[in-house]
Amino acid sequence: MKLVIFTPAIKTSAIGRMTRLVVRALLAHQHQVVVIRTESPHLLAKETHDFGCTILPWTNEAEAAQEISSADCCIYQIGDNYEFHEGGVAWLARAPGIVCLHDFFLGHLFCGWAQQRRDEANDILTQWYGKKIAADYFSASNSATFIRETQDLAPLTEWISSLATGVITHSNWGCDRVLSACPGPLFVVPLAYDAPGAISIENESTPNSKLKVLTIGHINSNKRIESCIEAISNNSILRKNVSYRLVGAIIPSMERKLRELATVSGVELIISNEVDDATLSEAIRNADVISCLRWPSLEAASASAIEAMLYGKATIVTDVGFYKELPDQYVLKVSVDNEIEDLKKTLLSLQSNRSATTTIGKQAQAWASETFTAENYAVRLEQAIPVVLRANVIISAADHFATIIDKWSASPQLLRTPEILEPLSIFNTNTIA
Amino acid sequence: MKIALCSTFVPFIRGGGRNIVDWLASTLTEAGHQVEVVYLPELDVPDLLFQQMMALRWVDLQAADRVICFRPQAHLIPHPHKILWFIHHIRVFYDLWDTPYRDFADNAKHCAIREALFDADTRALSEAKAIFTNSKVVSARLKTYNDVDSEVLYPPVFESERFFCAGYNDEIAYICRLEHHKRQHLLIEALSFTTTPVRIRLLGTGSGPDYGIALRQKINDCNVADRVILDDRWITEEEKVECLSTCLAAAYLPVDEDSYGYPSLEASHAEKPILTTTDSGGVLELVQDGYNGYIAEPTPESLAIAMDKLYRERSTTEAMGKNAKQRLVDLKISWSHVLERLLA
Amino acid sequence: MKVLIVNNMAPFIWGGAEELAVNLQKNLIIAGHDAEVMRIPFQWEPASTIPSQMLLTRTLEIFNTDHVIALKFPAYLVRHHRKSLWLLHQYRQAYDLYDVGQTNLPADQTGADIRKAIINADNESFAESRHIYTNSEVTRKRLLKHNGFDSQVLLPPVNDPESFIGGQFDDYIFAGGRVNGMKRQYMLLEALAKADKRVKLIIAGPPESPADTQQLNVIIEKFSLQDRVKLDLRFLPRATYVDYVNRALAVAYIPFDEDSLGYVAMEAATARKALITTTDSGGILGLVTPGETGWRAEPTAESLAEAMNAAFESKTRTKQYGEGAQALWNGLGINWPETIEALLK
Repeated sequence: MKLVIFTPAIKTSAIGRMTRLVVRALLAHQHQVVVIRTESPHLLAKETHDFGCTILPWTNEAEAAQEISSADCCIYQIGDNYEFHEGGVAWLARAPGIVCLHDFFLGHLFCGWAQQRRDEANDILTQWYGKKIAADYFSASNSATFIRETQDLAPLTEWISSLATGVITHSNWGCDRVLSACPGPLFVVPLAYDAPGAISIENESTPNSKLKVLTIGHINSNKRIESCIEAISNNSILRKNVSYRLVGAIIPSMERKLRELATVSGVELIISNEVDDATLSEAIRNADVISCLRWPSLEAASASAIEAMLYGKATIVTDVGFYKELPDQYVLKVSVDNEIEDLKKTLLSLQSNRSATTTIGKQAQAWASETFTAENYAVRLEQAIPVVLRANVIISAADHFATIIDKWSASPQLLRTPEILEPLSIFNTNTIA
Repeated sequence: MKIALCSTFVPFIRGGGRNIVDWLASTLTEAGHQVEVVYLPELDVPDLLFQQMMALRWVDLQAADRVICFRPQAHLIPHPHKILWFIHHIRVFYDLWDTPYRDFADNAKHCAIREALFDADTRALSEAKAIFTNSKVVSARLKTYNDVDSEVLYPPVFESERFFCAGYNDEIAYICRLEHHKRQHLLIEALSFTTTPVRIRLLGTGSGPDYGIALRQKINDCNVADRVILDDRWITEEEKVECLSTCLAAAYLPVDEDSYGYPSLEASHAEKPILTTTDSGGVLELVQDGYNGYIAEPTPESLAIAMDKLYRERSTTEAMGKNAKQRLVDLKISWSHVLERLLA
Repeated sequence: MKVLIVNNMAPFIWGGAEELAVNLQKNLIIAGHDAEVMRIPFQWEPASTIPSQMLLTRTLEIFNTDHVIALKFPAYLVRHHRKSLWLLHQYRQAYDLYDVGQTNLPADQTGADIRKAIINADNESFAESRHIYTNSEVTRKRLLKHNGFDSQVLLPPVNDPESFIGGQFDDYIFAGGRVNGMKRQYMLLEALAKADKRVKLIIAGPPESPADTQQLNVIIEKFSLQDRVKLDLRFLPRATYVDYVNRALAVAYIPFDEDSLGYVAMEAATARKALITTTDSGGILGLVTPGETGWRAEPTAESLAEAMNAAFESKTRTKQYGEGAQALWNGLGINWPETIEALLK
């Protein structure tokens, strides 16, 4: 098949990294792939992952249109970041295709898109969530408030899902909204990811060495660092035997705050700031435990948690969303309601039984390296495409009618009566109504 | 009963495909039923197919006691008592998929349309109370592709009592549209291999002039102008009946047609044996070699042998002609049988 | 040209529009074209199915066709690059009948939505048509008022004018057409009772209900008109009807306030028969000029009786009026060649 894949290509994009893996698997399966990078124009000159195939920017109208017209299927990698996915949203409306949905919460993507299109945005909000929510939507005071207020009531999952001919996503927790909006089929597939730096080393964990806990990535309050510090500080054994390291970009005010907190709490905190790939890999390898706590949890799958498992590390996760669906035997789950207590107990358990800590990491690694593979993702994608194309035959026919009805300024609701829908049931999809 | 006959049609193309519907309508009306004929257009373009199929689902014929559906995709029309007299699928999606007749690419999108079509057709077919076809060939296809069973119900010719036998001259008549796949050219070639004075008469015209012109050329090239009559024009029913009444035998040798074709039937009613070939398809459901005609290899030499035999062995030829008429009785090719089955 | 006439089909119901379509086809062929009639099943009950019927029509792919003539809603929604409308009917339940509450469109938001869809679909089809003709002034006015589109009135000609040769004048006045209260055949009988004993009457046509037949019989009984009246109440074979007209002395047609001329009047004029009508009959008055083509009576038994007597009084004059009626009728140019020319423009 010829596949056109819309994705951020920039090196800093985890989705780009994931797509690269999948594209290579697809190429190995003898498909023809064209990558169209979707970053906002000011990022289009940045260096990209190496996909191994033709790559062109979404702003090349003519070329993109030509590739699309000769493609068997278009695939859109969509995540909650307008800077990375601007081109995807733009083309998705014009050339519907399969959406690989990386985040169920798409509020930030939507806001970025809505800047130039407030009227259209209001229509979308009203359509899915009603007038009241639409009226209040853009008035959130800050980012945290915005997420908190909209993640449950207006996550905008429906907006993108309704434009797709089919959706592939990476966990189940947000699928209800997808199903309510997407006219085509839905597939849940384990996210593809890799950990090239996960070479096996023997950790020099002498019995008396401290338990090395690590959190990586952008250091922000979502990652529950304060909770970790508090959990450690609440217990003298932990205070004495746990070393907590942060590796990733951190703003000075946050750094100051955390250092102060650690000092006051008597917790050993190492802040390494942003490092290069090699150093990051080493840091993960050296760690005993990775804290992948997240709250709120908005993504369909966590590349970080998968990566931690691929490195063979005991991984602590918040018991929500994607993480909740991970098998209990491979990760350590911490509840939202009782976070500090649970964290404390978990850390104590890990600290006191170091071989168990190693074991759970190894078991997680074995499972993760078989599950989150690009090969599997590519195969599932190949299986999904004909199913989506078949559903699309029906969707296209239904669209023909929707277009006429729209031209008559009539509501599609007129077609949703039993006597009109019932005879169409032989087309056997849930795509109608 | 109130019966609606439903079929798809091409506006202004008559004959062949419509005959079965119109003749059935007349026959049913004569038998005292109220008949309504529904002809709706259908364009078999992949991208337009499913919206047309959906539209057909909204055709409301509940006023009828039963509906009988013929050409695709008429079988999509819903009705609590739906009967199909299934003539053929949209063949480029079915048995002609892997042939040059398919004029669109077999890419992923079209493959998806194909699969969706199989699915929808199978469901629509399953809604029918009974499925009849016009030949074993079509029944086999229904079984293969849609896994549905059907009963062969041979389409009779209209007012067969018009046909009669007035004798056997020395002409083999081929009364049929002039089209390449009907292979009138093969018959001309065969004539050049015959050793008896047997003659041929080709009556009919084509959708375009080219084939007729090619036939004239062929006649000259084969040097048989003195033994061939080519009447390239539209022939009236009366002329057809007249010609069949006096000819020696009738030829009908299309390439792989589903059904036996009205020409074979008409010849049988006129008590004339049928000359056909091994690769003609549905005709072979009607013709049995040596019983009511000859089945030659599709080569000029083989056909020539059969033609000479028809000429030389008169009594056999006449006997086969009588058998041809009897064969229709044996196969129950009659309107009374049709009505009996459709109205059961 | 290959001309496709597109009409609705109400299964197993055959009426005036179906006759018109078939006659249009016949005359197109006479004019040298190839013509077919395509009838699209239309189900308007319940009103909620109407959108599907509209979409069905709009989705049909018409090919191998040079020109389309469409007659009714929703048939005229078909897509074709060369489409003319000879509007017999819009969906009145969305228009003038809607205004007076005689509609199957529910009085709620859904009903309003369906109505809006019909109006917009109509306007779209009207805009994409080459020409719009209507079969009566009333239809033309309605179209202009409700949709803002102008149209030309194109009256349907007599279907088989060559049959109405006239030439014979027996001793009866012929009253043809459907028999019901609006057509007022009963009044003709009441008039007959007051008219000269010479006057005879034939009333022939399908009665709408047994009550209508009964009504006529009661009057015949009451006034002992049996030997002066022939009732032939059924759907007449065409030949029978034609014969009645051809041999009549004069033809009477007195409906209450009809839009159009009426086939009875048109056929009578074709057959050179004088016309008797009433002042409140509507469209037919266009063919009845007193002193030239026939008589306009008051809608009373007495006045009609006078007209009937007048017809019998002077056969010469009556014949003359018949010639006059035909001349007037011919002058209207309502014939198939001109009709077809207009439809194919």
